[in-house]
Amino acid sequence: MATTAYKRKPSKSELRRQTVEELVVYPFDWLEERSGLVGGIKYFLFRKVPADINWMQTLGSAALTAFLVQAITGVILAMYYVPSADIDPHTGQPVAWESIVNITDHLTLGWLVRGMHRWGASIFIILMFLHMGRVFLFGAYKYPRELNWIVGVLILVMGMMEGFTGYLLPWDQTAYWATVVGINLNGTAPFLGPWLAQFLRGGQEISGATLTRFYSLHMLVIPGGIIALITLHLYLVIRLGVTSPPWSEDAAGGEPEEADAERRRSGLTRPVPRPAGAQAMQAEPGGSE
Amino acid sequence: MAAIPKEKPSAVDEKRAEFARYKADVKARGKPFYPYAMFHDTIMSLVVVCTIIGLAVIWKWSAWAPGHDPTHPGILGPEIDSPANPGTTSFVPRPDWYFYFLFYLLRVFKWPESVFLGTIGVPTIALVLLLMLPFLDRRQVRRPSARPVAMVAAVLTIVSMGVLTWKGATANEALASEVVQNIPKWIKDEQLPKNAVPGVNLFARAGCTACHTYDGVGGALLGAPDLTQIADRHLGIATQIKHLNNPSSVTPGSPMPSFSSLGQERLRQLAIFLEASKGTH
Repeated sequence: MATTAYKRKPSKSELRRQTVEELVVYPFDWLEERSGLVGGIKYFLFRKVPADINWMQTLGSAALTAFLVQAITGVILAMYYVPSADIDPHTGQPVAWESIVNITDHLTLGWLVRGMHRWGASIFIILMFLHMGRVFLFGAYKYPRELNWIVGVLILVMGMMEGFTGYLLPWDQTAYWATVVGINLNGTAPFLGPWLAQFLRGGQEISGATLTRFYSLHMLVIPGGIIALITLHLYLVIRLGVTSPPWSEDAAGGEPEEADAERRRSGLTRPVPRPAGAQAMQAEPGGSE
Repeated sequence: MAAIPKEKPSAVDEKRAEFARYKADVKARGKPFYPYAMFHDTIMSLVVVCTIIGLAVIWKWSAWAPGHDPTHPGILGPEIDSPANPGTTSFVPRPDWYFYFLFYLLRVFKWPESVFLGTIGVPTIALVLLLMLPFLDRRQVRRPSARPVAMVAAVLTIVSMGVLTWKGATANEALASEVVQNIPKWIKDEQLPKNAVPGVNLFARAGCTACHTYDGVGGALLGAPDLTQIADRHLGIATQIKHLNNPSSVTPGSPMPSFSSLGQERLRQLAIFLEASKGTH
């Protein structure tokens, strides 16, 4: 505390206020001291992004939101869904099919949860395709973001695998016959095809064994992979930064050498000393943050 | 060092310099992610969640209420189809809409030797090209107007996937009820003997025409051959039954599903019918 012009005892209200502030800050300081997480979150929130980013660049976070909707509704569905192709002796219907009807018709808001999961899948796929289109249009897959493009394509493929495995779970005619053909298609691949088809079916025919392994793939294996890849994807986005729209007058990192006085006049791009060789080598792509 | 300033920097150096410039630019002139970009992201996410809830609501309210028929189709399709039944093969397989383009691709490759291209070949090549995109297009320029090849390739890809999805969505499926009406014509055209009649009825109802063509009716999915003159191959009844039981045991790698669930008696009837199919007269 710097000595102030006058010394007086802090009033009661000032003391109380100080105590409250310390109480609020303390857990954050405690966490920061032991993990650095608070600093990380602060960096995430207050990192700079180009001033000219546009609405198309919200598609990635929109796809992430759709994935979170799938994760949350999926967890709720997993509490009530029964992955069994056995026939219920009382009704003569398959247990899995019955549990889906039960979720949609009898559970409170079950129809909403299942409906959101059912349609959220389509929205997730659409948003991933749109996001990919945006990245392509912006040329944002170019150096140094090549790896993130590959990670993104893998997330798209795994998302479609989620669609394929999830489609079987209601165990209705549509699900069953689409899966029969889908697995046979995999079976036409050379070498691995027949083995893969056998593995997916869990035998020669589609049966209860197929249903349980599709369920396991759908709610454990593939989502685990997607979450890992999304984490890597976001890490790379934060590390490498977001690109400006390529047509932007203000594009961050635009071409300084171009005798483009018009563009330079705005003072938004600065020439970099050339040859860039020695200096550029030192500028680590990771950024100085 | 300073004596060689005219030497052209290598492509890698230029890329690195540009990225360093980008980082410096963003640091100097960018705005913080929170609240600016995050504001846009939040609005977009709310739109996404509302759209998903909206679809779920339309799905429910147009299709069903408690104590209804769960298979009643509303605007967005039924709540659920009838339970999976391996015994009824008359069901036409249909994947979710985002697989339509792959589904329809199978019809482009009709000939048995090229099925592999439609099922695995073309999709695999497309996926590898997609993964390798950053290494195929190594130029640093990002403006669409300066990337004509990339833009044309993108438009062609989008158009072809759109067309395949649309064709897949509107593809005419051979419905069992319509196929059945062809039975008298088939018996006449093919001069089928009496003992082939149970087989022809079964053939029309078991969904065979979803993939196979017979006397001008049916599809050509997964490279399924035209069966109008199948008897000319002289496969014999025993081989036909073996094939129906387990297609890949006769034709390795065949994408055709097993029809053993029909029961051996009915498979025999089907085999008799197929062996009597000697083409139209």
